[in-house]
Amino acid sequence: MKLYSLSILHKGATKANLLKAAYDLSSFSFFQRSSVQEFMTFTSALIVERTSQGSRASVKEQEYLCHVYVRNDNLGAVVIADTEYPQRVCFTLLDKVLEEFSRQVDSIDWPSGTPDTINYKALDIHISKYQNPREADAMTKVQAELDETKIILHNTMESLLERGEKLDDLVAKSEHLGNQSKAFYKTARKQNSCCEIM
Amino acid sequence: MAESEEEVDVLVQRVVKDIANAFKRNPNIDEIGVIPCPEARYNRSPIVLVENKLGVESWCVKFLLPYVHNKLLLYRQRKHWLDREALVDITCTLLLLNPDFTTAWNVRKELLQCGVLHPEKDLYLGQLALTKFPKSPETWIHRRWVLQQILDQFLAVGHNKNQEQQGEAEQANAERSQQLSDHLARTLHQEMRVCSDAACRYPSNYNAWSHRIWVLQHMAKGNGKVFHDELSSMRLWVSMHVSDHSGFHYRQFLLQELITEHYQTPASATINGSSQHWSSTVPSSSPHQHSCTQTNGELSGAEAASEDDGQLSFTTVLQLFQQEIELCSDLIQSFPGHETLWSHRRHVFYLWNQWKREQQHQCSSRGDNKSIHLNDSDPGMSEVSPQSYAGREESVNGQRHASEPMEVDRVSLPNPHDSKRLKRGVLLPGTLTLTSEHSFVNSILDSCCNPEQRRFAVAYKKWLDTVIGLQS
Repeated sequence: MKLYSLSILHKGATKANLLKAAYDLSSFSFFQRSSVQEFMTFTSALIVERTSQGSRASVKEQEYLCHVYVRNDNLGAVVIADTEYPQRVCFTLLDKVLEEFSRQVDSIDWPSGTPDTINYKALDIHISKYQNPREADAMTKVQAELDETKIILHNTMESLLERGEKLDDLVAKSEHLGNQSKAFYKTARKQNSCCEIM
Repeated sequence: MAESEEEVDVLVQRVVKDIANAFKRNPNIDEIGVIPCPEARYNRSPIVLVENKLGVESWCVKFLLPYVHNKLLLYRQRKHWLDREALVDITCTLLLLNPDFTTAWNVRKELLQCGVLHPEKDLYLGQLALTKFPKSPETWIHRRWVLQQILDQFLAVGHNKNQEQQGEAEQANAERSQQLSDHLARTLHQEMRVCSDAACRYPSNYNAWSHRIWVLQHMAKGNGKVFHDELSSMRLWVSMHVSDHSGFHYRQFLLQELITEHYQTPASATINGSSQHWSSTVPSSSPHQHSCTQTNGELSGAEAASEDDGQLSFTTVLQLFQQEIELCSDLIQSFPGHETLWSHRRHVFYLWNQWKREQQHQCSSRGDNKSIHLNDSDPGMSEVSPQSYAGREESVNGQRHASEPMEVDRVSLPNPHDSKRLKRGVLLPGTLTLTSEHSFVNSILDSCCNPEQRRFAVAYKKWLDTVIGLQS
């Protein structure tokens, strides 16, 4: 079981704005890491944009699960994990980092903040500590607090998209994905191989 | 770029050379990969070396691979001559891009046999190929061939030692044999690392795990310490890969080997004397076995040494199985809904049950009273979680096991004294019974609402009733 990325975003009127992120890409091949990271950032933003306020969702994409929580104050967080990683631990982690973040960073800075301007350093510690879910959290407690039926489950990324929208187009249009990442996406798409992309 | 035949020729020769040079420049390269890059950048080699990672830009693969492939085939058909150095370089490039190309590995086998290539070199090349293609069957197969060569070499030296028993020759041989066994121990360790790495890169990597089993069977046979070390070092790994069936199967293999090879009853122990010389393959001092002797202090010294061993085996095997079932319970409770964990539990309990029956059979046929140790069991259970106790109590009150009065009798709440004894490491024989399994399942069914988990628990219960229940 593995956590790949943990990010905090602000959900704006149309776009989501990345405030801070931490990654653990050690299990990916060295030359893929930069592209994988760009894709995780891209995916996290997309998911926050398509998730309504005050809701939790889990999106399955190949062998990855992206868990998202967007609070009523438009602050959102996404954790990308593998399918083995326990879902409820992910949501506890999201609750916890959002709570901590909103205490440490003034909400005035949320809409316009960037990873460079935001002063919040705990994400790296959280992602490495939570790699082993049993050490990180007393799970029995978590079970009691979380009502799993309220979490929306999407079986693909596509189900987040609107009618007529295509993931390929969104990738092609994205400003945040470099050329290498787009090439990477195309080959992975062609081979339909999950490990190649993200 | 490079569309005409001549241009391709020049390009490929340059790339093959660049790869060979990269290895000369940095002997510590530990990973290979393809860099997505649809077009060539002029005047730049498609071979990139960053830190210890070797990358090939993707645009050149479509020129490179067919070209080196054809060249090697022409050589095989004796239509094209290549000198040994060129063969080494070409097969290296080819195998890094396509490690399942058997012919290339075969060419390397020949080079190795005529002494051009060192076995280490091929193990290293395979290791690199596995970083990009962690399952590649041909790479694993070739590895086993190379390891067998190393083993044969070791055996040959051992054989010589037996023939020449005189003076300096003997001493030189002893030294050489020591060197070789150190070397073999290092190789074994390295193989374990390669297997772990491949298992992490690809989930349920059957090829990597079955290779690991082969390595233990051939390079550590009869060496209990290696098997014990493997069992304990894989604990964390399986805890972090709870749906990796191959990893758990490896544990099942280790348990099986440990009970059949190392803790068998004295009667059958002599049969395996032939594997004795393997103990020296890897230096070992089996500390585990010594520690067990101490827990066994109750036995009277008048008992025969073989009898002592038998009792020793029993406590150690019981401990092994208890620890494994405890690990399994812990993981099932922490990570609900993984079938792998439940099927592992089945296998472990089945193994234990088989072993126990064999022991009982042997004891009764020998007519001694050791079977008392098996049946006259103290109450108590390995898990100390309140949940499982609650579940057990219910199963007793509900008379679910009324058909097995013996078993029910044994199930009473353990007193604090027992758990203290557990902590001290003194074993309670018979704590792994059909009843304890039933109460574990009941505790899961009582407390868990995950539908998958409930389904697996019910299936396990059914299995206990049918397969195990009918046996005993």
